[in-house]
Amino acid sequence: MKFNDFVLGVLVLIGAAAILVSARNFSPIPGQAYGAETMPNAIGIVAAGLGIFMMAKSALMGFQGRAVALADWAKSPMAVVGVAMALALIGVYIVFSERVGFVPIAFLILLVFMLTLRTRIIVAVPVAIFATILVQQTFGRLLLVPLPRNDFLSFLW
Amino acid sequence: MDILAQAAGLVFQPYVLLVIFASACFGLFVGAIPGLTATMATALLVPITFFMDPVPAIAAIVTATAMAIFAGDIPGALLRMPGTPASAAYVEDAYLMTQDGRGDEALGAVLVFSAIGGIFGTIVLVTTAPALAEIALKFSSFEYFWLVLLGLSCAIFVSPSSVTRGMIALLIGLFAATIGIDNPAGQPRYTFGNVELLAGVQFIPAMIGLFAVSEVLRSIVYSKERPKIDRSGKHTVFKRQWTNIRRYPIQMLRGSATGTAIGALPGAGADIAAWISYAVSKQFSRQKEKFGRGHVEGLVEAGASNNGAVSGAWIPALVFGIPGDSITAIVIGVLYVKGMNPGPTVFINDPQLIYAVFMVFFLANIIMLPLGWVAIKGASTLLSIPNRVLMPVILLFCIVGSFAINNSVFGVLLMLIFGVLGFIMEENDIPIAPAILGLVLGPMLEQNFITSMIKADGSFLAFFERPIAAGLGIFTIVVWSIPIILYLRRRWAGSEASPKEDLPQG
Repeated sequence: MKFNDFVLGVLVLIGAAAILVSARNFSPIPGQAYGAETMPNAIGIVAAGLGIFMMAKSALMGFQGRAVALADWAKSPMAVVGVAMALALIGVYIVFSERVGFVPIAFLILLVFMLTLRTRIIVAVPVAIFATILVQQTFGRLLLVPLPRNDFLSFLW
Repeated sequence: MDILAQAAGLVFQPYVLLVIFASACFGLFVGAIPGLTATMATALLVPITFFMDPVPAIAAIVTATAMAIFAGDIPGALLRMPGTPASAAYVEDAYLMTQDGRGDEALGAVLVFSAIGGIFGTIVLVTTAPALAEIALKFSSFEYFWLVLLGLSCAIFVSPSSVTRGMIALLIGLFAATIGIDNPAGQPRYTFGNVELLAGVQFIPAMIGLFAVSEVLRSIVYSKERPKIDRSGKHTVFKRQWTNIRRYPIQMLRGSATGTAIGALPGAGADIAAWISYAVSKQFSRQKEKFGRGHVEGLVEAGASNNGAVSGAWIPALVFGIPGDSITAIVIGVLYVKGMNPGPTVFINDPQLIYAVFMVFFLANIIMLPLGWVAIKGASTLLSIPNRVLMPVILLFCIVGSFAINNSVFGVLLMLIFGVLGFIMEENDIPIAPAILGLVLGPMLEQNFITSMIKADGSFLAFFERPIAAGLGIFTIVVWSIPIILYLRRRWAGSEASPKEDLPQG
């Protein structure tokens, strides 16, 4: 989704307003004029100025470009499914990795993502197995990262 | 000469050389994986160094660090996924060179000029360390405030997109840096009751998300053809570098010197150094318009600066025992364990050991050339793998790299959020790199500003009262003024837009 300069300016201004309002919840260091609110206030003020500048400049230049335009790729179902699948698979890792263990979830992520991108299954399965074991051995054993384990495949550790 | 001979005797032993070789390979491996840092490589080596004598122990860490920082440029140039925030300064140029079929030249430039910068920094370390360290220690919060502000300004002005879009990115990064409890007042900000957010947004998962995950998503939607690497068998990695050395000698020396000087400041480091050097290179270049579009000049200067800063960080560490960055902080611990207490006395009590350490610095930067060449040739095979196979594997590395920072899936969640954010930013031509710099330098900016204001009792004039601070402050204001003056001049001359706005998107 692409925004023109005016809409981007509006979004920046809204963000600035949100930061400035939220900064009122923070207070200075006791006995000082500055503290936790200083940085958010500074960011909010600069962002507000930037938003207004972008809106004014866009207005002066005749609001070039459509306010909101859908990118060309969004018309391709395969691209949309690919992006959605990539994000969903990261979500699957976040939710299920502790319960299922690293090895099965990593294999699943690789296999499903490769098949979504139309990799042939005869290539996807061996690559998924090899990459899963490579990552598990490298990070889990060599670099001692405590990847989530499961009892069934504990021999890999 | 006796001391030098003793030092050489300590270094040129088969065992020490083997340690250097093994840790070089380890550093290359760790650095080339997005998410794994030079600091992590150092931390992982610490338990192993317990079983070593002082010289091989330090050799292992020095070599692994230098290699890891160079290796961070490999995924940057090949896949547009920089390994470190410092590499992010010139990732666009390196990647576009790769897309243009000049990947070998880009990586060769980064390799050769990293080694040159590292060797330059080491020469400075050997010859003028105590004097430089004295100057570095004169930097107070006022000077650091201006230095950080200068680094942040450079990030905006070198961005290939417009200045306004560069500023949006920077503000996003600065805002993300405000999250958490780590602020001068110690109040939780924007944590929404989440305990993990109290620690703030860690820049490694954020960087993986912004650069790597967004690049995975872009590769899906744009089905980009993979760039080609020269496979003719010719040694193109080094071939063009002699020409680059002859063409850009000033850039090479200026980058090395800037990097070493900034690296010597405790807490500043390679990130600010690379950005400032890239901006300086662009400002003084005769081909400004080529920056951000696959031009080697910025790689020469910022690449040298990057590794110069790594060597420079050792100056306060060895002379005063003050860590310049997280790596030297770990090393100081190792030095104490080995009985080589860093500080002025180490030069008097154990001169042969300190000279042996200096020799290791030279060796580490020299061995970088052949091993880096092998790594570049090996990594280049990545480009022959189709996206539909490579991207899922990269996504898995991203997930594990983000997880490994805190051994928590919260890092993966951060990566996901920043991945989506990075994708949306790129769709709207908002550059990613300034956001990373904002995230990294935001806490330093806040800390130094608040500290300075408290010290000055609220007087802004105090930022100009010390000579170095005044110089840096005036320079920063000049840097801000140039685009405004140019913009106004063009407007008066009848031009439609500012010079930056006229540039096509990178």
